[in-house]
Amino acid sequence: MAIRKSLLGSAPGLALLALSSVVLAQTDPGVRPGAINGQSGATTTSPLPLASVTSNTPQGVSEFFQNGLGRFQEVESVSGGANNGLGPRFNFNSCSGCHAQPTIGGSGLPTNPQATILTSVGGNPPIASSSTNTVPSFITTNGPTREARFPFFFNANGTGVNTSAPNGGVEDLFTVSGRADAGSCSLTQPSFAFAQSVNDVIFRIPTPVFGAGLLENLDDSTLLANQAAQQNNGLGISGTFNHNGNDGTIARFGWKAQNKSLELFAGEAYNVEMGITNEIFQNERPLPGEDEPSPGNTPAGLPSNCLNLSGNGYPEDATNFAPSVANSDTFAQNAQIPSDVVQFALFMRLLAPPIPSTTVPGGAAAISTGKSLFSSIGCAVCHAPTLGTTQASNITSSLGSATVSPFSDLEIHQMGNGLADNVSQGGAGGGQFRTAPLWGLGQRVFFLHDGRTTNLLTAITDHASSGSEATEVIENFEDLSTSQQQDILDFLRSL
Amino acid sequence: MRSARSRIYLLLVGFFVSSAAGAQGSVPQQGPVLQKVPENVILVKGAWSSASDNVTPLPEGGKVSTDSYNSPYFGLTLPLPAGWIQKYEGPPPSDSGYYVLAQLRPADPTPGQGGGRPRDHARGTLLIAAQDMFFTTTHATGPLELINYTRDHLQADYRIERPPSNITIAGRDFVRFGYVSPVAGLHWTFFATQIRCHVVEFIFTSADTQLLENLARNLGGLKSQPEIDASEPVCIKGYASAENILERVDPVFSERKYNQVPVRVIIDREGKVKHIHFLSAFPTQSQAISAALSQWRFKPYLRNGQPVEVETGMLFGHVPQGAL
Repeated sequence: MAIRKSLLGSAPGLALLALSSVVLAQTDPGVRPGAINGQSGATTTSPLPLASVTSNTPQGVSEFFQNGLGRFQEVESVSGGANNGLGPRFNFNSCSGCHAQPTIGGSGLPTNPQATILTSVGGNPPIASSSTNTVPSFITTNGPTREARFPFFFNANGTGVNTSAPNGGVEDLFTVSGRADAGSCSLTQPSFAFAQSVNDVIFRIPTPVFGAGLLENLDDSTLLANQAAQQNNGLGISGTFNHNGNDGTIARFGWKAQNKSLELFAGEAYNVEMGITNEIFQNERPLPGEDEPSPGNTPAGLPSNCLNLSGNGYPEDATNFAPSVANSDTFAQNAQIPSDVVQFALFMRLLAPPIPSTTVPGGAAAISTGKSLFSSIGCAVCHAPTLGTTQASNITSSLGSATVSPFSDLEIHQMGNGLADNVSQGGAGGGQFRTAPLWGLGQRVFFLHDGRTTNLLTAITDHASSGSEATEVIENFEDLSTSQQQDILDFLRSL
Repeated sequence: MRSARSRIYLLLVGFFVSSAAGAQGSVPQQGPVLQKVPENVILVKGAWSSASDNVTPLPEGGKVSTDSYNSPYFGLTLPLPAGWIQKYEGPPPSDSGYYVLAQLRPADPTPGQGGGRPRDHARGTLLIAAQDMFFTTTHATGPLELINYTRDHLQADYRIERPPSNITIAGRDFVRFGYVSPVAGLHWTFFATQIRCHVVEFIFTSADTQLLENLARNLGGLKSQPEIDASEPVCIKGYASAENILERVDPVFSERKYNQVPVRVIIDREGKVKHIHFLSAFPTQSQAISAALSQWRFKPYLRNGQPVEVETGMLFGHVPQGAL
């Protein structure tokens, strides 16, 4: 790609570029049109659950799924609304606001709702108040929905970063200060502009959760068997697993596979991304470091006028001992009882994985060839087309004895200094990332952990850098012909 | 950081830094220089490799120069084909004992010679990798078994062109193995040889079979040490077993982590640990293990009645099935 840039700077280069423009034709076909998630009947607000959930086996699972889907879309307020507890710090005010592409449960939309956080949208008051909030420069209308983290703490004397003090926790973008329902709570946003000036900010985009229940129901032994089969692959690849610290088993969710279960995933996101405490994370979350001592600073945590803003006490999301809305359908009535976090997890667990298209884009031959090439050049060593079979399920039959095709080994791999973000999570270091599942890739907009590109070709070539396990495979990709590379792009967009 | 005064100070500092941004080197900076996070550097490493000294050669310590790959640990020098470079270094050693020693490929064509990769430009890769046989989970004990493992686990996309067979190149015994992806038109050729408790693999990949033959011929220029070198420690798998350990202290870990920690040690003639190499360890783990190993005493290993140094491997931490 560097060669193309230097060509443009010279007249003969431009002539050559014009001549060669016919040859340099491999292009990302873009977001695949057609059926949402490749599923007939899915809409942008109605993702499909697994088949046995649609057939309501066991009885009631369908009502619970619908309830979870509904809660996933709830708009949270600080107080006085239907769903309270937002803040005092947050990245957005609903799960589905960030997890929406191509449908609820997915990744970020092409138009970022965080960019209009200060304006009135659809007749609603602004989600954040412009009296105390500004939109950080890295949140743009057509850019990725994202959260931000500072890999390192700053020096207290304002001299920049302290690279001996790793941080890496989420720095929520906005505060509730100035909202009519937030009382007198007054907090300032993190110092995003300063962090950018000292190269101390990284981003993460939402991970899609389609098929997550299948990933959850793979036994560790299945993942280990797949890892064993990849030994001595001749491509320089040798990954490992992240483990959770509670029971030592393989963790598998999140960009660094740091989260063990969907329940944890939901609870953490509810508290960290929206500030809604729950039965897994019961305490309001200050910014990283705000509750730790530092020289000359006695930590005080959050000020008391920013606590219990909902007025309902803690945790803000809790089990409902009785359903609040009568419903003649007993199961729909029962589904109101679990807390939001339990229902979020169940919703994610019951989502059907995306169905690949066999013809779009590029046609059946291109997709089939692309799939073979994808495996042949070595992509499949990490992006495993089939990972294994799930165990029997105690929840619903579609989760049991199912072949899982996520295009991921769920291992963490060294991805080099080009992708490293200097954030360690569990056993994953700053340069390690979970192999991102590629199922559903075709209808995603932004790629890689920080959404740095919308161009699939760039996402592929960014896998190669100093220290990456993927370099040899990317070399193989770049040694393919243009039409072979196009077949791979077509195949990936068919997923 | 929270007070208005410090925010104004920071804004001013930020202004000075941004206005001085274009003036590095020859023009003095106008304001205080802020400490920034360096670009393209992994500082927060997680589990990584380290050693007790920086003198003893390490398996990953080889270097690529303009015309050769040279490894003091493996005692080998491979001349590179003309114009071949290492564009990117490989990853650190893995916790299953796998190394990427060098990733070599033809240099990109110089600008002006055509956009992208012209079809007549040489395309292919030369991967030099090594598997520490103390830590492989494949149950292989040498090059043929390791190559057979790869052959037995080949995906359906490949067709074997040359089954594993023995061949002598540059005075060394190699196992050669080749397969092709008919769809991609890419050929792989492995040349695997045993060097000091490792299987070292030279893996050539290309669509151009002539290039592959040239690379194989180039391998004939490999300079390596003979199988038994009196100056090197003797490699003994499993030396750290009960009958050889006279004194031991278990490491005290400050926290439970779940990674496996492969460790290479060199034991001196008196049975003390003289060199420790962590293939993959968190800093707290390498500190705890180093502190413990400094108190171990082994039975010295005798060869022809004389005590000699021993190189062996030990696995700490989470141990999956199939490992040592």
